[in-house]
Parts: sequence; C-alpha cells; structure tokens
Amino acid sequence: MQIVITLEEKIGLDSKISNIFGRCNFFMFINPDTKKFTIEENPAKDTPGGAGIQAAQFIADNSPAAVITGHLGPKAHTVLFSAGIPVYQFQGKSLEETLNDYNHRNLKNLFEADVKDHTGLK
Amino acid sequence: MVITIASGKGGTGKTTIAINLAATLVDSEKIECHHSVWLLDCDVEEPNAALFLKPAFHIKKNVERPLPVIDPEKCSACGRCIEVCEYHAIAIVGKKPIFFKELCHACGSCTLNCPENAIDEKPEVIGILKSGKRGLLHFSEGLLKIGFSSPVPVIRELKKWVISSVEPHDIILLDASPGTTCPVVESLRDADFALLVTEPTPFGLHDLSLITSLVQEEFKLPCGVVINKSGTNDSIIENFCQDKGIPILMRLPLSRQIAEIYSKGNLLINKLPELKDLLSGLFIQIQNVKRG
Repeated sequence: MQIVITLEEKIGLDSKISNIFGRCNFFMFINPDTKKFTIEENPAKDTPGGAGIQAAQFIADNSPAAVITGHLGPKAHTVLFSAGIPVYQFQGKSLEETLNDYNHRNLKNLFEADVKDHTGLK
Repeated sequence: MVITIASGKGGTGKTTIAINLAATLVDSEKIECHHSVWLLDCDVEEPNAALFLKPAFHIKKNVERPLPVIDPEKCSACGRCIEVCEYHAIAIVGKKPIFFKELCHACGSCTLNCPENAIDEKPEVIGILKSGKRGLLHFSEGLLKIGFSSPVPVIRELKKWVISSVEPHDIILLDASPGTTCPVVESLRDADFALLVTEPTPFGLHDLSLITSLVQEEFKLPCGVVINKSGTNDSIIENFCQDKGIPILMRLPLSRQIAEIYSKGNLLINKLPELKDLLSGLFIQIQNVKRG
C-alpha cells in the first residue's frame, strides 16, 4: 500500500521533505516496505487560491494509506479527513529516517489542522 | 460624469478630497452645476466618509450572492464541478461533495455545468447598501458583512443601484479603497476620470506608480493627481507626473490644522472656507483634462 510524502525537491530517496502541504513542489507515492516510488508534480503548487483543497483532492483520488507532511491547514485537513486518509507529521529528519519512523509507528498523527489558512503562502 | 478617487497607498487623503470636493460642488455657484452630486463610499470593507458627512440614511438594501447548494442524493461524484471551479471551492472524496463556502466566488459555473442538475443556488446576504442625503448631496455606501472576503459584488451592486437612478449629467464621485486590487478595479470600471491622491513620500510615489499603470494602461482613463501633505518633497511626484504626462491638479499643504480638523471628524471647508476655491478649481481642471 502506498503512502504520500510531500517533497521540496525531486532527487529520489534523498529528496528533502516539504514542511508545506498544499503548495509543496512534489508528491512522492511510495511503498514504505519495498521503497518503490514514483514522484509527481503537485498540480496545486501555483494555484491562486484553494491550494490545500486541490492538493488534498489530488491525493484523495489516489487513495493512499497515509500522508506525511510538515504542517496541514484546516481545509486540506477537512478533505483528507473526509477521505479517511491519516496524516503524519514529519519531524525534520531525512526521508529514509522518516520512512523508518513511519514503519515503527513513531510519527505523530495530525488529528487536526496545526496551522491556519494560507500558511504555505508565507 | 463618474470620477473615481483612488490612491494606491492608504492614508493619502482620498476620503478627505472626496468629501470636501462633494460638499463644495453641491453649493458652488462657480460651477454650472444644475445637476445632482452623488458621493459613493466604495471602500466597503471600511467605509468612513459617513463619519464626516453624517448623512441621513433613508433607504437600505441587502446585497446577496447565489450560493451553490449541492444535493448529495442527486450528486453522482462525477467531478465536473471540481474541473470548472476556478477557486477550488469544491472537493469530492468518498463519492461525497465537500463545499468550501469561503472560497466560492458565486460565479455559477458549478451549477451551470453539473450534468445531474444536483446543484441549486440559494441567496446569501453578504452586505448592505445604504443611501441618504446631506443637504443637497446624495450619499450612498456599501458595507461588506463581517466574515466575508469578497467586497467586489458589494461595490458592483452599490454602483448599479445608484448609477441606474442618476441623470446623465449628474456628478458621481466614487471614493475607492486603498490598493490596486479587485475592489479598486471594480471602482474604476465605468469611470470617466480617475483622480489620484498621493503624498510626496517614497511610499506615496511607489503606490502612485502602481495605480497609474492600472488607470493608464488597463483602463486608458484620463487622470490627474492631487498632492496631499504637499510642501516637503513634491519634486519626486512632479518628476513622475511629468514623465507619465499626468497633470497635477491640486496641492493640499501638510498642515497640523488640517490634520486636527480631520481627526475631529469635520469637513475642512467648514473651518477653512478658502479651500472651496481650491476644490472648485480642481473640478474645473478635471473637466478640462477630460475634454482634452
């Protein structure tokens, strides 16, 4: 089962994880066990408004088992929550370490939005 | 004739000029003014001209927008509404639509495009318009409801409401909001002349150049500049205006007395009647520039 990780850059398993959800540059769709992945550009990256919703819709359409990101705003949270996709918070570590933490259930579950609207624009 | 008073930068004196010009025009004998004078406060997020004019309001009217309502029974989760919504106000997850009201611009695209006819529209009040008089001056303002973020429909309705009832030769002054974003664009639409109020500071100049681009390049409107708080560094504005071919139509000096009168909510022309000549002159200049 795949999970989604928000990325700042696109250099495979060495990519830096993005703290921003709706306006991150890329999404990595990865199987946390086999580490097989694909990277897709975030279609909401440069949208004038509603980036969180559009990004969450894109992810929800792919029905991953979980999302790992830094921070999540209220509208993106509503969409992912309604889609039943849990969101885990990245703790500043590398992608491989974060995957390891995910596999050992050491990541914090974001049960609610932890930042306000438009935080990713700042 | 519709004259929009704009500035780019906030606090340069749009309202000062608008209210005093309006009050001068209604009782000026120098101007062949057999026409009515209207002042519209288009700064609907924070209208303040009424604080100075203290008009008697006698008509009120709600501004509504058509808010989409999705019938979950009829919705087939096809996603057509998501494709057409420019503002990403709708998401569909687990075959159920989620509507984010605060992102909706009430454009009607989702309703129009829904193949299942699952989207209906119900009116939602987003603001209020008020109209009244102060002596011979007609005054109207719009007020966006607290919690709403789109002032443009309120400004549009305010203009439509008033402009439909005026005579062709009436003088309509629109006091715009600061900035150069959508509400200012809406306040400039249908204008015959843009009066740009600025101050001789780097900020004043910077934002004057932004509003000038909007007025000259996008709207191709005749315009003129008023330098408020004049007398300190006017040359930066003069050089810009010369470069852009914009006439400087009036200067209001930087004066403690003017600031005090304003801060008490009074009209300048009541305490400094000599300003009436300056403001009548401003109007004549506007007519001259407009005639070319």
